[in-house]
Amino acid sequence: MLKTRFGRIGGALALALSASLIAVGCGDSKDDAATTTTAVEIPKGGTLVIGAEQEPDCVDWIASCAGSSWGSWMLKVQTIPQAFSVRDVSGTWTPQKTEVLAGDPEVEQVGGKQVITYKLGTKAVWSDGVAITAKDFVYTAETIRDGDDIYDKTGYDKIEKIEAKDDTTVVATLSTTYPDWRGLFSGGYGILPAHLLEGKDRSAIMKDGYDFSGGPWKLEKWDKGVSITLVPNDKYWGAKPNLDKVIFQFTTDTAAAFQAFKSDQVSVLYPQPQLDAIDQIKAGLPNAQSSYSPRSGNVEALWINNEAFPFDSLAVRQAVGFSIDRDAVVKRLFGAVGVDKAVQSFNPPIVSAFAGEDFSKYTLNLDKVNELMTGDGWAKGSDGVWAKDGKKAEFAFSTTANNKRRELTQEVVQSQLKDAGFLTVIERKPAGELFGQILPDGKYAMALYAQVATFPSPSLSSIFLSTNIPTEANAFSGQNWTRTNVDGLDKLLKQVDTELDEAKRIEVSKEADKLIAESATSLPLDPLPNILLWSNSVLGPVSDNPVEGPFWNLSAWGLKQ
Amino acid sequence: MFSYVGRRIVYSIPVLLVSSFILFWAVRVTFDPLLKFRGGGNRDPLAIQRQIERLGLDKSIPRQYWIWINDFFRGDWGVSSRTNGDVFPMIWRALGVTLQMIVIGVVVSALFSVAIGVYSAVRQYSIGDYFFTGFSYLGVAMPPFWFGLIAIQFLAVWPKERFDLDETPFFFIGLHSPGMSGFNMDYLRHLFLPVLTLTVQIVGSWSRYQRAAMLDVLSSDYVRTARAKGIPRNRVIFKHAFRNALGPLVTVISVDAALLMGGLIITEKIFSIPGMGRLFFDSLLAGDVFVLVPWMIVTAAVVIVFNLIADLLYGVIDPRVRVS
Repeated sequence: MLKTRFGRIGGALALALSASLIAVGCGDSKDDAATTTTAVEIPKGGTLVIGAEQEPDCVDWIASCAGSSWGSWMLKVQTIPQAFSVRDVSGTWTPQKTEVLAGDPEVEQVGGKQVITYKLGTKAVWSDGVAITAKDFVYTAETIRDGDDIYDKTGYDKIEKIEAKDDTTVVATLSTTYPDWRGLFSGGYGILPAHLLEGKDRSAIMKDGYDFSGGPWKLEKWDKGVSITLVPNDKYWGAKPNLDKVIFQFTTDTAAAFQAFKSDQVSVLYPQPQLDAIDQIKAGLPNAQSSYSPRSGNVEALWINNEAFPFDSLAVRQAVGFSIDRDAVVKRLFGAVGVDKAVQSFNPPIVSAFAGEDFSKYTLNLDKVNELMTGDGWAKGSDGVWAKDGKKAEFAFSTTANNKRRELTQEVVQSQLKDAGFLTVIERKPAGELFGQILPDGKYAMALYAQVATFPSPSLSSIFLSTNIPTEANAFSGQNWTRTNVDGLDKLLKQVDTELDEAKRIEVSKEADKLIAESATSLPLDPLPNILLWSNSVLGPVSDNPVEGPFWNLSAWGLKQ
Repeated sequence: MFSYVGRRIVYSIPVLLVSSFILFWAVRVTFDPLLKFRGGGNRDPLAIQRQIERLGLDKSIPRQYWIWINDFFRGDWGVSSRTNGDVFPMIWRALGVTLQMIVIGVVVSALFSVAIGVYSAVRQYSIGDYFFTGFSYLGVAMPPFWFGLIAIQFLAVWPKERFDLDETPFFFIGLHSPGMSGFNMDYLRHLFLPVLTLTVQIVGSWSRYQRAAMLDVLSSDYVRTARAKGIPRNRVIFKHAFRNALGPLVTVISVDAALLMGGLIITEKIFSIPGMGRLFFDSLLAGDVFVLVPWMIVTAAVVIVFNLIADLLYGVIDPRVRVS
């Protein structure tokens, strides 16, 4: 399933698991080395200050208020234990069982249902010394499945039954096959402590910060609006952190954050790939190292409402595809960090194994535009704009407000579309309104925004299955906001969701990609590269994990003494 | 004086009630309180219905307002849909931060504005007057986001790099360093740049008001008479003219100070200060009606309070107001 990334909301599922190489370079985006590992011995002690550009709204991780990516990177990954975590294995990020489990879970198909048996290890304990047990798994699953204000129930809504056979054995029965079962009790939500939360007001205990931990760090203090401070969890069963303290200081302005980085007020930055951040990188950052990763879990695209005029015509959608030089747009946005090619699939780079290259045929070709449009009965007026039956090819082009990169993208695309004979009216809306009302209700023609992927499987079904088209009948639920309804596509996408044979899944996924590209349901644009900057004073294996974020191995970091 | 203050407070209550109803009504018809339940892929009609009943959204707006205002006066300001946290502490925390900046910024600005305004009026068309006039135009024209970043570069980052200092002379992230609190040198080093950013534009405009008011008073008959009677120039200026020239500036200060309550969005964002401006901006983007309504009412209350303070100050600087 894909999730929308916008402002503070969206992105918890970026932490859901990922599978792909990450290109990491030190001040050079073209380096494909997997990580930057420093060979020197890491000193113990010290306080590291990290600039965090967003503050989580709340840290009750399963609630709808806790969709902040930054919240996950700063606190969830550091304090909430997981059954599986994403690690780099021979250059590929793959889900690996953690020490919470004694071994790989057994997965069986019983009467069309998927039965997963988890065997827990005995080392893992909470910060109060109580063991992590099967009861914690049951509490977590039932709370997510049955709760009201839950951020996302994907996967958990398939759990028919979950039982603790004993303290170290959990059996979960899923109503249908769920290939992403490793995502359960993992990056998305992890495991919550039943002995501290069951029968109590979980939201009240967790939303403003909690004192328990099952990870290497625990929360010392959340000074609202100012900082989050972590200290080592003394009871952690794995490798203890090197640092004495980590402070995530909220730096809400990108330009000021870069100045703070230059003047050593903060030692690490993980800025969104906005124009001002890229300008600062271009200008040079002394005494700093950087990694740029185009293989992210994001796809930013021109999402098209297939039911809205003029995109209810296949020819128009294809013609728009041939009207835009997508590579030029991407180069203009991210050329400075070495990203200059458009993505060619809605499967983001972290699941590139499942992605086709079929959108690569959509390059700037005005002859092709003329051919498609005239073939569909359109004619250009004296103003150079296509028209048919007295209606001009004019439509609204929406995106989120207060995002300079998207504003620039809109302007470049608008100019290219105008040259091809399409008129666009630019609209910028608050994220809450765009994603909460305009897109679900289908009150748009073309929109620019990004989706964040789950891992390790692609799941375009949530955004392209015809049954997920929001309608009044289903109270506008479902995320097929583009109203995509392509013959044969549903069958392929469902097969991708349920097929357990990996090779077959990849083949079917690529077939689905081909259908999507042929019908030009929308146009993929860029991968929103990840940018990580750190001072030379920071030691250790600093690198970006495309799923768990840049602080996935924070406990191994240190500071020059 | 006490009865005057009491009267003004009593008069303020209906103003606040009427404005709170208008704000409540406007926000409720503009924003969807259940936006987070309706958006995304987990839209559950049953969950939405439960929320409608829990929040009383199936009732009429006046009825909703009555319930809400009762809870409001009891200290229950509701729960934010963005953070799931109680609204009351959110607003009071942000209010405290913003008030620190406003109070210090207004006091500093008032002192500089009065000094510059009086000097410019007394030394009209002098080199100093032309200098301050130019400065004030520059200050008014300078956008806070630009001045803030320039101030960070030239007063914090550049000195550290140029003189190889261990740390910047002034800080620009928040109001304290991590782990610090209270009124101390660390606080002042954090406060300097945001207050400077705030005051440059204000001093630019207030000093012009003060100059105009002072010129007006200096050309009045009673000042000319006082000078003709041989009263020393400085005494005429500071004892007779200056006090009367403060009235218009007090009016401007009270209006501007109240407006700053929500008008510091840019300054708070640049300097990562969690004040009222940022709270409003974040809540607006998230469509968090449960914060927006009390935020606006608190701001309206602050406007009323500042107007009350201005009225009291009129009485202090002009005895005729006290008598009337």
